Amino acid sequence: MDYAKALQALARGGVEFILVGGAAATAHGSARLTQDLDVVYRRNDTNLERLVESLALHDPYLRGAPPGLPFRLDVSTLRHGLNFTLTTNLGDLDLLGEIVGGGTYEDLVEHSLWLELFGIRCRCLDLETLIQTKRAAGRPKDFDAIAELEAIVRIRPRPE
Amino acid sequence: MEERDVPTGSDPVIDAYRGGVDHSLLRENLQRSVEERFLRLMEMQRFATELRRAGRQATASS
Repeated sequence: MDYAKALQALARGGVEFILVGGAAATAHGSARLTQDLDVVYRRNDTNLERLVESLALHDPYLRGAPPGLPFRLDVSTLRHGLNFTLTTNLGDLDLLGEIVGGGTYEDLVEHSLWLELFGIRCRCLDLETLIQTKRAAGRPKDFDAIAELEAIVRIRPRPE
Repeated sequence: MEERDVPTGSDPVIDAYRGGVDHSLLRENLQRSVEERFLRLMEMQRFATELRRAGRQATASS
């Protein structure tokens, strides 16, 4: 996954999104390997249009689907769905309308922080809410990730 | 990054995984900027991809 190009494409396209999942864990200091980019996106009309425009050049396609399906990532597709697991020419991208234990963009935005990286600013879920969502998901693959994130809560430098 | 302090409740399942956490690796990572953490992740991804390729090649030629 080319995180620099993917985040730049979204941020420079004016997309309102919050970094969640493994990439958010990386931002907070996790040393675990993650392969994709998970974002919770705002589901108003303007943002759906911006999302479609931002990804248009990056060949979005349904991950795991056989090739050749008549899939188009357009505003109508986004309106009729919620969570999309996609491949793109920048890497695997999960567009999430809501997440277990966290809710929608509007629910999460007050639990997010601004990050500055790769020349852009983007929102990232705060560490405590990230842990909360991973606990709520209850997936065995997240158990060691939660243990690591909780260790980060204990050892991270405190703001002065 | 300024964040809220929310206590994380104890969970025996998660507790079982605590022993496997590499604190020195985390401390080293926390010294890095957020951008450096992502650059390092991308390096790890490239390494993992190369290992998978080498594994497939070794299996195919054995």
